[in-house]
Amino acid sequence: MTTQPAITLDRLNVSFGDSHVVKDLSFEVRPGESYGIVGESGSGKSTVLRVLAGLNRDWSGDVAILGQPQPKIRNKAFHRAVQMVFQDPYGSLHPKKTVDDALAEPLMIHGIRDAEGRIGRAMADVGLPASFRFRYPHQLSGGQRQRVAIARALVLEPTILLLDEPTSALDVSIQAEVLNLLQTLRHERKLTYILVSHDLAVVAHMCERLLVMQFGRGVEEMTAATLAARSPKTAYAQQLLTASEGFRRKAG
Amino acid sequence: MRAPDTPTEQPLLELDNLRVNFHTATGIVRAVRGLSFTLGRERLGIVGESGSGKSMTGRAILDLIPHPGEVLADRMVYRGQDLLTMDKRTRRKLRGRHISMVMQDPKFSLNPVQTVGEQIAEAYRVHHKASAREAKQRSLAMLEQVQIREPGRVYELYPHEVSGGMGQRVMIAMMLIAEPDILIADEPTSALDVTVQLQILKILDDLVTQRGMGLIFISHDLHLVQSFCDRVIVMYGGKAMETLPAAELADETARSRRHPYTLGLLGCLPDLDHPKAKLATLTRDPAWLA
Repeated sequence: MTTQPAITLDRLNVSFGDSHVVKDLSFEVRPGESYGIVGESGSGKSTVLRVLAGLNRDWSGDVAILGQPQPKIRNKAFHRAVQMVFQDPYGSLHPKKTVDDALAEPLMIHGIRDAEGRIGRAMADVGLPASFRFRYPHQLSGGQRQRVAIARALVLEPTILLLDEPTSALDVSIQAEVLNLLQTLRHERKLTYILVSHDLAVVAHMCERLLVMQFGRGVEEMTAATLAARSPKTAYAQQLLTASEGFRRKAG
Repeated sequence: MRAPDTPTEQPLLELDNLRVNFHTATGIVRAVRGLSFTLGRERLGIVGESGSGKSMTGRAILDLIPHPGEVLADRMVYRGQDLLTMDKRTRRKLRGRHISMVMQDPKFSLNPVQTVGEQIAEAYRVHHKASAREAKQRSLAMLEQVQIREPGRVYELYPHEVSGGMGQRVMIAMMLIAEPDILIADEPTSALDVTVQLQILKILDDLVTQRGMGLIFISHDLHLVQSFCDRVIVMYGGKAMETLPAAELADETARSRRHPYTLGLLGCLPDLDHPKAKLATLTRDPAWLA
């Protein structure tokens, strides 16, 4: 590979007080790739995403985005290139701000003039009718709120999206709509995704490669095809896969 | 072995034309619109999206619908006892003792200022004449039964000191200590990791097979219901779209007999074995609710 990786993580370590939650984690994500991180609660998967997004400043190791080594405190250019979508659309939108306020704020921070046009485009991109622009979050359904959160991330036209369980709070039918939307956007705009999820089927559907994490360590990196073929190498990944297939009664 | 619903045995619960209405300022919201089923000593799954009325069904059976709501039914019978004509006092005695419910999230359903052990013991003493000592013994035994390794230590913990999986087991212990005939489990595992989820299901499964309990398993997870339950009711907009043996959910040959809504729900799930470029989205037909 001669192309520069979109994201490089080298020996990342994160501790909260005495608990060491991410241990010597390294991986690379190529531009335009969709990379999944799976694991159980407490495996450190969301923490990795928060470090990448610049939301967590207590870490050691090397983080490079688009070839640029990243300091603990990121600059504006970083935030234009990297945006994040959170798990809970009920918690991640300000209840007293309209859709328009939510989308205008990042534009104002970055001093972008054409707010009117950009907000309109971002809303159209995620399939929200223009009439929703002055609605408050409580006037929207869960799926619509998550679309607003995606529009807010897209309004700065980033190249990398960090997705933290973007559909786990949604019904399956709405999940399908949001996942389709994310796929379409990625292909149209050549976006790079990191998708954190506990749902292996969702990760296999969305990503080319994935990393299984346990107790803060990367257990195994594999391709989606390996996952679909049920042939992970490590026992833990195998166990996670079996558990996700549903309940099994022992014979007899 | 499975304990199927044999017609010779009296069902645990019979429901006919259950309706739950909420009278609001803007009109009547009909949360459940005419649901009928019988429950034997089996695992009955109820699946549906948010707002399909699946949780309201569970609450209606326990008479836990809050004030502006009303529960109507043509027939609602628990082992030959008519729940509709029963006075509040008798109904309350049934609740918790004979028909019980496990809620979704232990974080919000446990009392934060009482140790988990005391809460389990209290559940026992409400329904049984027992000394504090005996109730504690029973609670410790129950904690052991739900696979908690150090019951003595866990008994003294407060809810914030236990993990999600352990909290869920504590709630199950609390509901089961009165030895109910019917357990309504409302999304009992959706807040938990997959591996913990399987342990909880194993406990519930053993209770159905060993004690002959009737289990109503409310969930939005089709894969889980399909692998865990005997029968499944698929709900949409407060109505049962269809009732089917759980094994038929995955059966490709039975597809033509399935309701379009059930097929729609199955179709929009990403599937490891059948990768697709685009997931199907659901189209809803207003005629289903007519």
